[in-house]
Amino acid sequence: MTAGHDHHAPHGPGSGHDDHGDHGTHPPGIQHHYDDAQHQFDSGKLGIWFFLAQEVLFFSALFVAYVLYRHHRPEIFAYAHHYLDVKWGAINTGVLIVSSLSAAWAVRCAQLAQRRGLILCLSITLVCACGFLAIKYIEYTHKIHEHILFGKKFDPCVSSGGQHLLTNGDHCPGTKRSACRAADVDLRPDQPGWQVACKVKETTPTGTRELPVCEMEAHHHGPAHAANPPCWEISQNPWVCKAGDFNGTPGVAALVHYGDHALRGSSTKIELECDAAKAPPTPDYAADLPVVGGLGQGTFQPKQKLSDHDLGVQRSMGPPPEHTNMFFSIYFCMTGLHGIHVLAGVIVCIWLLIRAVKGHFTPQYFGPVDYFALYWHLVDLIWIFLFPLLYLIH
Amino acid sequence: MSTGNPNVSYFEASHGIKNWLYTLDHKRIGLMYLFGILTALMIGGAFALLVRIELMAPGETIVGPETYNRLFTLHGAVMVFLVIIPGVPAALGNMILPIQLGAPDVAFPRLNLFSFYLWCTGAACLLLSIVFGAIDTGWTFYTPYSLGGDHTPVMLAIGGAFLLGFSSIFTGLNFLVTIHKFRPQGMGWFQMPLNLWALYATALMQVLATPVLGITLLLLFMEHFLHIGIFDPTLGGDPVLFQHFFWFYSHPAVYIMIVPAMGVISDVLTTFSRKPIFGYRFIAYSSVSLALLSFLVWGHHMFVSGQSKLANMVFSALTFTVGIPAAIKVFNWTATLYKGDIRLKTPMIYALSFLILFTIGGLTGLFLAILSTDVHLHDTYFVVAHFHYVMMGSGLVAFLCGLHYWWPKFTGRMYPERIAQVCAVGVFIGFNLTFLPQFVMGSRGMPRRYWDYDPEFAIFHQISTIGAIILGISMFTQVIYLMASFKIGKKAPKNPWGASTLEWDAPSPPTLYNFPEPPEVHEIYEYDDIVEESPDNWVRVNRKGTGTKAEH
Repeated sequence: MTAGHDHHAPHGPGSGHDDHGDHGTHPPGIQHHYDDAQHQFDSGKLGIWFFLAQEVLFFSALFVAYVLYRHHRPEIFAYAHHYLDVKWGAINTGVLIVSSLSAAWAVRCAQLAQRRGLILCLSITLVCACGFLAIKYIEYTHKIHEHILFGKKFDPCVSSGGQHLLTNGDHCPGTKRSACRAADVDLRPDQPGWQVACKVKETTPTGTRELPVCEMEAHHHGPAHAANPPCWEISQNPWVCKAGDFNGTPGVAALVHYGDHALRGSSTKIELECDAAKAPPTPDYAADLPVVGGLGQGTFQPKQKLSDHDLGVQRSMGPPPEHTNMFFSIYFCMTGLHGIHVLAGVIVCIWLLIRAVKGHFTPQYFGPVDYFALYWHLVDLIWIFLFPLLYLIH
Repeated sequence: MSTGNPNVSYFEASHGIKNWLYTLDHKRIGLMYLFGILTALMIGGAFALLVRIELMAPGETIVGPETYNRLFTLHGAVMVFLVIIPGVPAALGNMILPIQLGAPDVAFPRLNLFSFYLWCTGAACLLLSIVFGAIDTGWTFYTPYSLGGDHTPVMLAIGGAFLLGFSSIFTGLNFLVTIHKFRPQGMGWFQMPLNLWALYATALMQVLATPVLGITLLLLFMEHFLHIGIFDPTLGGDPVLFQHFFWFYSHPAVYIMIVPAMGVISDVLTTFSRKPIFGYRFIAYSSVSLALLSFLVWGHHMFVSGQSKLANMVFSALTFTVGIPAAIKVFNWTATLYKGDIRLKTPMIYALSFLILFTIGGLTGLFLAILSTDVHLHDTYFVVAHFHYVMMGSGLVAFLCGLHYWWPKFTGRMYPERIAQVCAVGVFIGFNLTFLPQFVMGSRGMPRRYWDYDPEFAIFHQISTIGAIILGISMFTQVIYLMASFKIGKKAPKNPWGASTLEWDAPSPPTLYNFPEPPEVHEIYEYDDIVEESPDNWVRVNRKGTGTKAEH
């Protein structure tokens, strides 16, 4: 039991509380309900430690969720971490460690009254923090582009049948539907009751194979598109034009989506061949059907020319396990919350930098720099845990 | 720290609405909290009365089932987040804690004001959700109930609770640092008033438990708007995880409500028994051990949520251990009363009510900690009665106790003693009438949160509603006479109760920096030196000369 150990250098005898209104008795930066600079510094330091404890608990629920879901579904984590780029994660780890070093150094500079050193160190911290966010931005945009997101928005490029997972953002637009490449062919099944079947053929230097057709849709030719809504809905191959939903506008182009989104070099040729044939007639309109066949043929070239490197990025990992989206829910929550903390650090760092330039900090008053450095170390530390937990799973 | 003339009371130190809104003075902030909390208490109380009146008879009485669901949800959310959690710490604690330390202010006055405005914003969001259709999930926001429905009210309610949580965290942080760093010369940890021990234990829980609520509500928020799926089984998430997270906060939250209440009761019982507190260290340690145990028992809210048997048994056993510090307190308080010079002033009536109500509330908690009985009693009115005995019968009664006890100190006015005593008895009677029948009907199978019920429960519901009306009238009368006493109350002396802690050495109301002169620190809860000079005016005579000068 210690009594009164917390008070430092109390006012001399006779100085009552009535001098609290007088700023003159305290050095600049010291609020007057504190006894002295040391009292203020100690209070602030204890305060920031409690704040950091609060922060740890704030993140704790996410770590608990991570442990729980990883324990229940290890295969999701083993599979999904391949989507993350260890290179960027490692660079960011380095960036944050450098920034932590410079933050600690900044405290030293403030204590030794090295103003230029303080400004330099804070600047390095700030640049690193912004660099971290920039790299995170690159990673996030990549994932958004590939639809590797949380919950229902997890919709990455998967080859038809879900056998292959593809990771190359520029050439893999993401959603399951648009991931099926589209090809145009002019068809004229002018009457209801016609059945259209399409085949997609891929020719590469090594050979020729048929690709599966995912779905077909129709686009009217002619100007009055809005007035002539397409009668063809998205449908399976072969498609049957239903009675009554076709308005008879001549010249309808079919847009055929075919599966297998393997990335293709420019030497690959895609050929599309569609046939319209009479479906089993129904009594209503069996009488006057025109006989048409072999209606359309089109070719399609990949729009982008892919380099050999890009082709090499294609990975085959098997189909994603059910609920792979959970990994990304946790990934985005954890890194997102961490990113918000980095952003808050950036703002505080700018404020400190301005104050440092103005020369506010002295060896007697450098608390804010110290508190920021402690906060920054925690933010760094959280990333040190996040990096292996999310990126380096085996 | 606020500016103004330090030699007059904090009311007169500066004038104008701006000087109140931007004030950094802990007493003004505390008083503003108090007004906010009393307003919320009236709103929450009105919801409670509407719920009770609806239940007066089976079938529809005044509102339909959907409105009823919203009413009990709002009653719970308002009372928990806006009244009981901030009641003792944020309002009474803010006003009293620095003065009990002989300090001029809390450690971080600006953070204190920021907490207050967070509280205001959170409260506004929560109440605004009523305008946009209100939520009907119960105050616990359980998934998947909280995932459906309109976005706006859910967003407002969850966002409001999130902000209120951070207000609570910052208040707790402030108090922790203040108690660590602002104790005067001569006041070690074991010379602190027990109220400060209780506020310290509370602040620990506020800082360490509330962030978990924060992140949980944030996840719920994102679940609602981005469908992240953490709590959604269709996306592979686990809705029971929400319950774990929620109760990891909300069980400590129950102790955030009760532990500071125990601090108030400790101070009041010794003052009005005019006897040193019995077992000071045991009460102090039991506050801290309650704070620690509060983190280990959350699972007892989920005995029927599909937890493993082992987890259930562990949580059940841990829950029983909570009985130990709670009982230590009750025994020590009773021993303090023994052969005391008991004066039945209003705060003492509340404190004695607390002893009885807390004992009932605590012991019925053990029924619910037993796995086999909990399966039967879970989600019945037995649980409703139990937690009202603890949260209202103990938490809110202690808030009223402290409010009356310290009212002369922070307003400088006496409240009308006779009316207040009648109201205090009214609260006790009304409370028991309301909630004792609920134990009976709960044990007979009346489920909680139901809008309709079998006619066999009607008599219990009717007694309960009559009790609630008595309770409502007593509460409302208090707010009226307390507000009136601001203007017409008798001027309060420095020490109207003959209390021994430091705040009674400050003027009533205190000056801007609380003490014109640094106060002397005396031995804690020692009444020999304090004598009644004239009725309700006690002064300290220095018989032993043991006091030491406080230094600030």
